[in-house]
Amino acid sequence: MVSRQHPRSTRLLVVVLVSISLAVITLDYREGENGPLAGLGRTALAAMAPLQEAVTTVTRPIGDFFSGLVHLPSLEDENRQLQAELDAALAEIAAGTYQQSQIEQLSQLLGLEESLTPTSVPAVVIANGVSNFRYTITINRGSDSGIERDQPVVTGSEQAPILVGRVTRVSAISAEVELIIDRNSTVAGKLSVSHETGQVEGQGEGDLRMSLVTPGTSVEGNETVVTQSYEVNGQRGLYPPGLVIGQVSQVIPGTDGLQEFVTVRPAIDFSSLEFVLVLQTSRGEG
Amino acid sequence: MLRRTLALGAVIVTALLLQSTVFSQIKLLGVRPELLYVVTILMAILEGPNEGAVIGFAGGMAQDFLLDQPKGITALTLTLLGYTVGLARQYIVSPSPLLPTILVALGTFGGVIFYEIVSFLLGQLDDPLLSLLRVALLSALYSAVLTPLVYPVLRRIFERSRPRRVVRF
Repeated sequence: MVSRQHPRSTRLLVVVLVSISLAVITLDYREGENGPLAGLGRTALAAMAPLQEAVTTVTRPIGDFFSGLVHLPSLEDENRQLQAELDAALAEIAAGTYQQSQIEQLSQLLGLEESLTPTSVPAVVIANGVSNFRYTITINRGSDSGIERDQPVVTGSEQAPILVGRVTRVSAISAEVELIIDRNSTVAGKLSVSHETGQVEGQGEGDLRMSLVTPGTSVEGNETVVTQSYEVNGQRGLYPPGLVIGQVSQVIPGTDGLQEFVTVRPAIDFSSLEFVLVLQTSRGEG
Repeated sequence: MLRRTLALGAVIVTALLLQSTVFSQIKLLGVRPELLYVVTILMAILEGPNEGAVIGFAGGMAQDFLLDQPKGITALTLTLLGYTVGLARQYIVSPSPLLPTILVALGTFGGVIFYEIVSFLLGQLDDPLLSLLRVALLSALYSAVLTPLVYPVLRRIFERSRPRRVVRF
């Protein structure tokens, strides 16, 4: 079965290929975002997009079928739970309207030119990442539609947007979005009831982790966590305020009262995302 | 030769496509299989260390360019994996039909661990150790389960397009 080749030439080949790999790693590591390799990566992203879109269009119903099959026994429970959640959500919307007017007044007061509803570009999710260690999605809109790096991506309605992530790479016709559950993702968050702020960090598959700025705050279970805008040295945060991140699922008291964590269950199931909105929060240019 | 290269390119693109679409929906406890590891290992079994290394390199590079991280880590992993499996295959005389499945399970596990170590050293991974082990184990298991489906397909494609001069035993 195996072709007989001179073992020495094979060894030489492996050494050459390994050297090339190491050279590419080093080169890309040093050049970062703007190097020719990153450019090639964007080309690959664009080249795969039409294929991914086609495959997703065909296979999404099949995937839905399988995940539906798995969840069949729990559907009844889920229905009941959803009903309860809907009631809660309606109450939240009522509370949200009040908050929105409050925020509007405050931001006017501070002279922030943060617009709460920036123009947005709708996009279809055409693929997820290929890696088991990164949590990304690919969408079918790119720089041709005005999408830029670091723009926030949301889902849900424009009245009650849920945070999905931020754009990390853009090709002409597609873009890669890093989800908030990715371990590289950090979002400034705020608890909606106790108004406590903290950093919400991705933990991969599980719930998000929010480390509170002030330890010892009493956190209610089920409290909603939303994004918080901030400004450090004239650098504004990426995300507009008030985007829903998720709900507090567990409070983990810190040892020695030093640091306290709450875990936050994301408001959406990222594996079944279909449509998203990219918010055109122009940073810099008008 | 040209036909082989084209077939190989098609296999790599298909694997990447499936990995990023279908298998991101059908996961095993939150982990997807590593299709390019499967392709590399199976081609190394079929064709030997030389081809294994080349295919691992090409597939790894293709995957790297779709990832937002220093490119070349997967290529490095898969080059070595293809070479090692191809080499090991020459010393195994077991006629067991389960052999490819077992080699894929072991190879994927080892490969993913190697990938994790390199990524960690480059500051690309800060997952806890337990979750890294879990991903390696589950993706190896998932990949092994897919092997009986992938192996006949690959064998069929590449046996037909293989040059005649190859000595078989």
